Amino acid sequence: MPRIQSRLYMPNVENMSEKWSSSLDIGKFRKRVCASPIKFTGIAILVVLVFIAITAPLIAPHDPEKTGIPYQSPSADHLLGTNDLGQDIFSELLYASRTSLVVGFLAAIISIVIGVSVGLMAGYYKGWIRELLMGMTDVFLLIPGLPLMIILAAYLSPSMWNIILVIGLLWWCSTARVVQSRVLQVREMQFIESTRALGYSDSYILHKHVLANTKEVIYAKFSLAVASAMLAEASLSFLGLGDPLNISWGEMIHFAFTRGGFANDMWWWYLPPGLMICITVLAFVLITMESRKDSRLVELI
Amino acid sequence: MLRPNSKTTLYISNKVFRYAITIFIILTLNFFIPRMMPGDPMTNMLGEGARWMDKAYLDELRAEYGLDRPLHEQYLTYLSSLARFDLGYSINKSLKVKDLLMERIFWTLLLVFPSVIIGGAVALILGSFAGFRQGSMMDRLMTSLLLLLYSSPSFLFAMIMVSIFSFHLGWFPLGNFASGKMHGASYVLDVAWHLFLPIAILSLFEATYTYLVIRNSITQILGEYFIFVARAKGLSNRVIELQHVIRNVLPQFISIMALNFGFMVSGALIIEIVFSLNGMGTLIYDAVISRDYPVMQGAFLVLTFFLIAANFAADLLYGIADPRIADAKDSI
Repeated sequence: MPRIQSRLYMPNVENMSEKWSSSLDIGKFRKRVCASPIKFTGIAILVVLVFIAITAPLIAPHDPEKTGIPYQSPSADHLLGTNDLGQDIFSELLYASRTSLVVGFLAAIISIVIGVSVGLMAGYYKGWIRELLMGMTDVFLLIPGLPLMIILAAYLSPSMWNIILVIGLLWWCSTARVVQSRVLQVREMQFIESTRALGYSDSYILHKHVLANTKEVIYAKFSLAVASAMLAEASLSFLGLGDPLNISWGEMIHFAFTRGGFANDMWWWYLPPGLMICITVLAFVLITMESRKDSRLVELI
Repeated sequence: MLRPNSKTTLYISNKVFRYAITIFIILTLNFFIPRMMPGDPMTNMLGEGARWMDKAYLDELRAEYGLDRPLHEQYLTYLSSLARFDLGYSINKSLKVKDLLMERIFWTLLLVFPSVIIGGAVALILGSFAGFRQGSMMDRLMTSLLLLLYSSPSFLFAMIMVSIFSFHLGWFPLGNFASGKMHGASYVLDVAWHLFLPIAILSLFEATYTYLVIRNSITQILGEYFIFVARAKGLSNRVIELQHVIRNVLPQFISIMALNFGFMVSGALIIEIVFSLNGMGTLIYDAVISRDYPVMQGAFLVLTFFLIAANFAADLLYGIADPRIADAKDSI
């Protein structure tokens, strides 16, 4: 009996190598796409978005800063018309993808690093460390996020980096919770106990085994963190707290809202950036979905 | 149902202790934020006007507000003024922050409370419907629709709704709480007509997340052993669904509603701006634009208190809905 159990936890080396080579094989790649079509839809959307963000100067038909005739309707020259300063909205939209994605990614990285460290420590150690860390997380969960972010962003000068910091430092609580509950499960597994019995240090077990077994949760949580960071950024920018030098999608809607685009029913001004936010966030959510296991998503949000 | 025994009191006192610490931390945070930030609190408090002021006058003002005294003394003054509900003066509106907030919080709560209840009820009904018929056409349709809504920013959805129902169809007003010059029953009806669209939007937003959670937890519960036994006993689906499944979903449902309250307050702030309703949201928005820091901080404090109160209420309800909780939480 113990033999069988230890076999269960042994990584199957043959299978692993097969898995690696399969990513190069087109036939098997297609199979994997078919196995989780939702996930690959998300990945495909993101690849396109990142491509747009990188090549924005090449695709954009106009310089987004160049002013011209204001409030134009969509035409062949200006696909989405022009804004109150006569800037081409389509080009602005392409350039804004850079700010939105960068803010989302960097804020998510900060929040994931904090959340994972807190979650790992709280899950692995017992006693006062857990009490302290989880108590802290509970307190942070109770603070209304958006109002606090508004205050902080209002005090700090409006820059992209400050927004990244504010979102990253306040958005880690749910990550900490999810990671902690996963670590609680992992640390009770037998092989962890065996490793401890063999005399390995806590930091070795944490890095080599616990982290490796929480990896899946962390990846999924990262993807969702980008999504919620982008939504948070959009809300802050909509309130006019965005970086005036790096226009994001949320900020485009802010300008459309405050400078007459919304009141004059110029949907080509506020709708496209909104849809871009929607599509990007949705793509990040879809990535975390495994087919037939979509319920897992809920545990992560 | 809730018999006051020693365990329940322990559970509640534990909770009270925890919330007391939370309130203390938030008060402290609120005190330190303006003092830690770049720039000096006096210039922040006066806004743009401070630049053109005489330096001696600024020092005089600083002394008046006690900003020249050591930090711990300032902290004590801050706490004692809070105990008297003194939140300072608004820079731009030359009104007491307290009076401003009192006037506005009512409208925000009028927006948030119905939305929490309606949204929760909608989510419970739709979520259990989808959970019991998982994989069906309706389930797929509703789940993808609500997922789409979940990933859209609330202000965008609100703007689209206003543009369709108010601009083009003209069914609902473009904003504000009331048309004015009305009294009695017609006034109440008018307010309800004005609030219909914002409340509908907020309820939908609340419903998205709650729906996903309920659908998920129903699927989990349906896989449990006691459901298998209930089926084996020959109970009808209706009895199983109502008595065994929903009963077990309720505790989770309540705790999500409480967490949602915070989410809703943030959502309400944004919706209020789109509909130009004079609640906390527009107050904060105006304060942000004019850099009216005392108002921002007062609003933050008040919102946090309401959030904590809602969570505390949920904790009490949670104990009633699931008697095991009080026992289980003590034993940890």
